[in-house]
Amino acid sequence: MNIRLAQVEDLVGMQACNLQNLPENYMMKFWMFHTMTWPQCSFVAEDEKGRIVGYVLAKIDEPSEDDKNEEIHGHVNSISVLRSYRRLGLAKKLMLLSQEAMSSIYQASYVSLHVRKSNKAAIALYRDTLGFEVAKVEKKYYGDGEDALSMKLSLKNS
Amino acid sequence: MSKALPKRTPLPSKEASLFKELLTLYETRQLKKGLKTADQILKKFPDHGETLCMKGLVLTHMGRREEGIELVKKGVRLDLTSHICWHVFGLIQKADKNYEEALKSYTQALRFDKENMNLLRDSAQLQTHLRLYENLVETRHFILKVRPNQRQNWIALALAHHLNGNPKEAKAVLDHYQRSLKNVPDYDYEHSETLLYYIIILEELGELSEALSVLDTSAKSRAIVDRTAILEFRARLLSKQGAPEAEEAWRALIEHNADNYSSYRGYLSTLGISLESPSSSSEALAKLEELSTQLPRATAPRRLQLTISSGEDFKKFIRPYIVKNLAKGVPSLFTDIKTLYVDAEKRQVIEDLVESLKTEYAKLSSTTPSDATNAEAEPTTYLWTLYFLAQHYSYLNQPTKALELLEEAITHTPTLPELYLCKGRALKRVGDYLGAAKAVNEARFLDGQDRFINTKCGKYLLRAGMVDEATGILGLFTKKDALSPAADLEDMQSLLFLLESGDSYSRLNKPNMALKRYMSVKKVFDEWEDDQFDFHGYNLRKFTISIYLRLLAWEDTLRAHPAYVKAAIEASKIFVKVNDDPTIVTSLTSTSQLTDAEKKAKKKAKKAAASKAQDDKKAQPSAHDPKDLEPPVPKDDDPEGLKLLGCSDPLEQAAKLLHPLVVLAERTLTGEKSKTANEDGKGKGKQEEVDKNVVKNVEVWIAVYDVAIRRSASLSSWTFRVMVDADCSSLFRFSEKLLQAVGALTRASALSPSHPEVHIRIVDLKQRIAAFPQPPPAPIGPVFTESVSKLLPPDEISMERFNSEYLQRHSGEPAKVLAAARVMKVLDAPIGSVEETVFGVFGEGSQLDISTALSALEFLTSTSSSRVDEFRQRCQAKFELSTAFKAPNDLAQLKEQVLAVPLANQADGPAGVLPEDGAN
Repeated sequence: MNIRLAQVEDLVGMQACNLQNLPENYMMKFWMFHTMTWPQCSFVAEDEKGRIVGYVLAKIDEPSEDDKNEEIHGHVNSISVLRSYRRLGLAKKLMLLSQEAMSSIYQASYVSLHVRKSNKAAIALYRDTLGFEVAKVEKKYYGDGEDALSMKLSLKNS
Repeated sequence: MSKALPKRTPLPSKEASLFKELLTLYETRQLKKGLKTADQILKKFPDHGETLCMKGLVLTHMGRREEGIELVKKGVRLDLTSHICWHVFGLIQKADKNYEEALKSYTQALRFDKENMNLLRDSAQLQTHLRLYENLVETRHFILKVRPNQRQNWIALALAHHLNGNPKEAKAVLDHYQRSLKNVPDYDYEHSETLLYYIIILEELGELSEALSVLDTSAKSRAIVDRTAILEFRARLLSKQGAPEAEEAWRALIEHNADNYSSYRGYLSTLGISLESPSSSSEALAKLEELSTQLPRATAPRRLQLTISSGEDFKKFIRPYIVKNLAKGVPSLFTDIKTLYVDAEKRQVIEDLVESLKTEYAKLSSTTPSDATNAEAEPTTYLWTLYFLAQHYSYLNQPTKALELLEEAITHTPTLPELYLCKGRALKRVGDYLGAAKAVNEARFLDGQDRFINTKCGKYLLRAGMVDEATGILGLFTKKDALSPAADLEDMQSLLFLLESGDSYSRLNKPNMALKRYMSVKKVFDEWEDDQFDFHGYNLRKFTISIYLRLLAWEDTLRAHPAYVKAAIEASKIFVKVNDDPTIVTSLTSTSQLTDAEKKAKKKAKKAAASKAQDDKKAQPSAHDPKDLEPPVPKDDDPEGLKLLGCSDPLEQAAKLLHPLVVLAERTLTGEKSKTANEDGKGKGKQEEVDKNVVKNVEVWIAVYDVAIRRSASLSSWTFRVMVDADCSSLFRFSEKLLQAVGALTRASALSPSHPEVHIRIVDLKQRIAAFPQPPPAPIGPVFTESVSKLLPPDEISMERFNSEYLQRHSGEPAKVLAAARVMKVLDAPIGSVEETVFGVFGEGSQLDISTALSALEFLTSTSSSRVDEFRQRCQAKFELSTAFKAPNDLAQLKEQVLAVPLANQADGPAGVLPEDGAN
């Protein structure tokens, strides 16, 4: 599996992959907006035929005008790998590349993400494999009323 | 001209300040107050153009669009020298996505307010969008002159020159800019991006050493903060120079990301090996071996070894690769290595190997105690081996073997959804679409929370012609507040759904709904094209130029995407059909029978519509500049696609769909390189896609021919003489279409001279020419006659003979046999011999496939032949497992079973459970 930086040409495949896998979907402009603003922190995995089989879409949050204490940090908007491409460690590889870019290019001090409380497999990846910690629980974060775990990982000294 | 314009009398001070207030109220979106203020002014000065325009603008945002536009137009007429009036007019046109007209209005506005930054910037954005790069250079130049202190204005001018095909000038601007730069702060992302852009231009100019030296200096001083980009640029530049350091540079990239194929490609190319035409090289294999030891987690080097090795080497590498992945239970193993099957020897090695592993594992799992630590002895390893072999045999068209293996696997482990997905695929391949859908639905029962399986299930149901059921299943994951599952999938731009659903309707003979779906695909591409608009300004502000160049390049070849090509062709076929036979529409509208399910769906949709209207606003993630300037989304006033199908100008609609493809092809054929092609080969990749999907796609040219020849026919009802005498423009349009038709057919014929569709069109063209009242006059006459003479057989050969010779030459190719039968029908041959010819598809040694058999059946049915059932039975006998040829009654029974709850699951089905996968 080929793993590399997401390019404009990949957006269609990323959107399709997301739509096939997850209930939270976005229109093309949203995908475009992310790569146009932070071109270095989203990644894709493609198969032998060049089909996108997994992706991580990420962004950088700058401190807002009224809260200068807030640190620059990365945020993972969406990550998924097609079911038929599991057990290859793709999600982990995608996350690591994104984290590295967030830290080295954008000087992000930590990375955050939201995950469904019931999604054991994903939580295991973030916590056990990648070292994320639960920062807080966000009640009814998802459209269907499910809670989200807000998870964070420090990128300092990494 | 300008002196003839009426002089405008300025408003008295009270009204003048009210007008200023109006502008502010609009800017701050206080629309109601704005409207009041406008009316206050208009009470005294009802003909004040600028106020009328502003009032109109306000109204368009308050849902009174038509009225607003009328006012704006009136205002402009009353004050043709006001930049405000023209600006407002431009804004309205822009919101309407009428970019050409908007630009004209802005240009007018600028005549009266030359240095207005908003106008200038908006014009530049429009010029970029319309690819008017020469004008863009002028505008950017002027902006820079007015505001030289803004960094982005320099970059913008450089970019304009670059887009205009003048990288040299772009470089000069950036040089100038860099000399004027002072005090760049540390870690400045924007500066870093600018430097990378500068290096791209140097590279394009072929100044490789200069590019490298800028790169190295900027890397050292940390002015470029993107470490990966530094590595990539270095490796690429060194490779281009043929420098020995290139090898080391690519290795550095591999160490950074050990799964990026392009790094390996670059690395191997420095060793003189191309992955596209791999030839065994012991040096390369040794290097890859070294890398795989050094990077134990990387899969790429091991996979690449399989690609470039052969013979004994290959055997050595393939075994551990397969064994490891089977033991790990990697479901994608087969998909991963099936690309190696182009080499028949490798395919055989793999088959022999996995078969022997199967025997080995079967023994192991029956003899080894369960607490053994050997992963290969795990029963799951045996299971994944069966799974692999099933895919292998299904792929090689040995369905019985594949299905047997799957039955064994399912008996072994009945709870693994992959097995049912695989079974579905194998059944689909043999044409058992209902059985396939049933199998995939069983997989869905095993993991109802997985949207992936759900999507597959929907797709298989669509393939099986069960549209309503598919919608129901897909609806388990679409937004509950959407108008319908289909509406949500359309809003979310699911090409997969739109195409599969369109095809399904098409097979069900519902051209109205099929057309609706195909046109929705077009709409998605229209949206994607439009999406770039805001970024023309945005990326400059963010200084993300390199990625922006790729965006433009992508947009420029967007319509070569297979989904667009497919939708355009299918929709234009439908348009041509209704053009030829308008009764298709009338018969649909008069009967307009809805099934119960459709009625129910309609009712539900109505209900949902009410609640949807409220949520419409929040649904869209707005990127930036949340200007609510877009016109409100119109409701679906054509839910059945009947208006679309019954439009008054089907041929024009079809021509519009195909036009972007024709433009793309012409650009390729005339050798015009996209000005935004990227240096790193991606631009080249896009061009290859245009080539493959458009230029070399016979179907595209057939569609273009079908539409153009009919458009010319609709004009040629005039006699030529009348046209020459009276109406030159008609003549011109007629000639244009006629030549386009002949040109398209010539292209199709050059690509594949004996293609069945080409054969049919040649006869079609001959017949149409025969019906011309007289040969086309000059200037097209000679060109036309010459092209035609190259396409058509000589006059002394009758069409009947031409056709029978074609049939003889291709009697072993079912699709061509069918084409010959169609032509016979066109030539009014007796039905008996047409039928006989159709039955020729079963001829000895011919490789009849299901889709050709279905077309033949459909054709036979359309001739009201008495042998339809006989043909159907022959097909059924030939495609034993397929459900495609079943009689309607048998089908209905089978359909009922598709969604049946499997016995094992009857206690707790997954109906409606929400998925839990992924971080969001």
